[in-house]
Amino acid sequence: MEQSLAVIGSHLFLVFGLLALGGAATMVFARSAVHSVVGFLFCMLALASCYLCLGAEFLATAQILVYAGGIVVLFLFVVMIVELSKYKEQTRFQLHTPWAVGLVVAGAAAFIAVFWQTYFSPSAPQALTLDPTLAQGLDVANQNAQAISRGLYADFLLPFEILSVILLVALVGAVVLAKAERT
Amino acid sequence: MPFAQQLWQAMLRDLPLISGPLTLFFAATIMLWPGDLLLPSNKKHIWAPITLGVLAVSAALVANTANGSGFSSMFQVDGFTRGFQLLCTAAAFITVVLSQPQLNALQEQTVEYYALILFSLGGMQLLVGATDLVSVYFSVELMALCIYILVAYLRTQERSIEAGVKYFLLGAFSSGILLYGISLLFAAGGGVTTNLLQLNQKLALATHNNSLLVFAGVLMVLVGFAFKVAAVPFHMWSPDAYEGAPTPITAYLSMAPKAAALAAFLRVFGTGLASVHSDWSAPLGFIAAASMILGNVAALRQQSIKRMLAYSSIAHVGYMLLGVLSKDPLGGARAVWLYLLTYLLMQSGAFAVIIHLQGTGEGERLDDFRGLARRRPMLAFAMMVFMLSLAGIPPLLGFFSKFYLFMLAIQQGQYLLTTIALLTSAVAATYYLGVVNLMYFKEPTGVQLPRLGTALALTVGCTCGLVLVGTCFGPWLLDWAQTITWF
Repeated sequence: MEQSLAVIGSHLFLVFGLLALGGAATMVFARSAVHSVVGFLFCMLALASCYLCLGAEFLATAQILVYAGGIVVLFLFVVMIVELSKYKEQTRFQLHTPWAVGLVVAGAAAFIAVFWQTYFSPSAPQALTLDPTLAQGLDVANQNAQAISRGLYADFLLPFEILSVILLVALVGAVVLAKAERT
Repeated sequence: MPFAQQLWQAMLRDLPLISGPLTLFFAATIMLWPGDLLLPSNKKHIWAPITLGVLAVSAALVANTANGSGFSSMFQVDGFTRGFQLLCTAAAFITVVLSQPQLNALQEQTVEYYALILFSLGGMQLLVGATDLVSVYFSVELMALCIYILVAYLRTQERSIEAGVKYFLLGAFSSGILLYGISLLFAAGGGVTTNLLQLNQKLALATHNNSLLVFAGVLMVLVGFAFKVAAVPFHMWSPDAYEGAPTPITAYLSMAPKAAALAAFLRVFGTGLASVHSDWSAPLGFIAAASMILGNVAALRQQSIKRMLAYSSIAHVGYMLLGVLSKDPLGGARAVWLYLLTYLLMQSGAFAVIIHLQGTGEGERLDDFRGLARRRPMLAFAMMVFMLSLAGIPPLLGFFSKFYLFMLAIQQGQYLLTTIALLTSAVAATYYLGVVNLMYFKEPTGVQLPRLGTALALTVGCTCGLVLVGTCFGPWLLDWAQTITWF
């Protein structure tokens, strides 16, 4: 029973992974902006399912809340407000594209080299582990929401609180910069 | 003991450490709501005295906070923290005073302006005491976000918006680099800690394999911080932001965030990355030398005094990086603190003069200083004192701190960099003396200037007096610098 569940789980992971890839491809290649957004939504939902298959239920919920909820709505607003039809005729490759591609390839090569030397050369150290004290007394595999809450409210309390102030400042800033002209 | 109870007790124990920033956050939030709602719209000018009061309370709390470390050793109060916190608070205080003429003239007396200054100061106060890369990063972001908005505050002026957008984009980019560097260092230390002291030990033991990872991480963190303090070659945003921002905010930019970012620079590199000093000493030396040379040479050609001061502040950062480079981090911190203290006095005085001239539509261009000595002899004299002090001419206060800093660099054996610093100081004297030349030996062109407002007169008078006689109090200043300690 256990074994067959695990097999189904890994198959499901593959299925959802392919669905996510399909969604991403739709997003990139769709002609209409609305189709792109729907593709994006599909991709995000499939990714959330992938997280569920991996047993990370908190990450899956956060993924749906943030991406499928917030970001997609934001995109739809932009699609509705901005008239996209006038950008259709633009050429896909611009003059600086080769430079950009070259830079990206060089940067990627440099970082792959760094990680290769660090983790795969003959005397590589043991694999990375998260701080074990963060998850003391918790079964991380089954209780990762609790483990995250412990990290947020115990070990990373100060950054968490600073983050709330940052969000408040962002709100104030948006109001300051966008408020109507005084007459 | 239940988990929640443990949390509660740890929080009660640690909260007094951040009483200063907490006061700022609470006061700013209450000012925004419901304060602004309750205040009639013709009484908005009283936000300035209220803000000054909040700043004074926060400074008193900061000065009386006992030493200690808390929040899972993410924040630490020690002499270093207190010294830099007070420096930033003083800069914010002066900024609020300097803001009055312009805000009144533009009828922009709004509570958001003061709230953003308080929030940014809270970020700085947290930043200088941060002892963990995670809390360093978040405090930097809080500080920077407020400053982006303040730079773009005059949203009807294209220049101000352009400056804000430029600063925001480059700042966001540099934060990304900083964060990536932090994550690489976290991985290189074995992926168990971001605490500076522990990370220092882990990095010292990093295997040969990890050396490239450490180097990449250190370099990216260095780039991130160089962006924040506007050191060459990561200074591009600085002249535009200085020129486009409202002038009091320009003064603020050149004092407070710079002091806070340098403090974080000192603590991160002095305690967290001290064991890999050889990885960052050469790149940082290059950045320091480039800042001194490019900052001073570019300042020669500027026509706008705000741009000139922007380039000159790049050069001053170059000098202060000599302190960061020091192999004795605490000695470097003391020298940098002293330098920032004197820089604060000179810079706030000089900006007070510029703001006064700006009130009559002048002061932007260097030519506006033509013949100022005939029109306002006292003002011109004060400006001369500030310029000479910025140039480091003895016996003014600017010379004293510069001497202390350069002496430290020589003791550390940085002969080449100190030579560059001395030579570029001579170049700097050219453009500082150029302003004096304009004021004293050129024919006046402008109209008669109005009287100096009380607040500006007080700022100019106090800072000018302190810069003039400050060197006499040298021994006391040095004693004061000795209170800058960490443990």
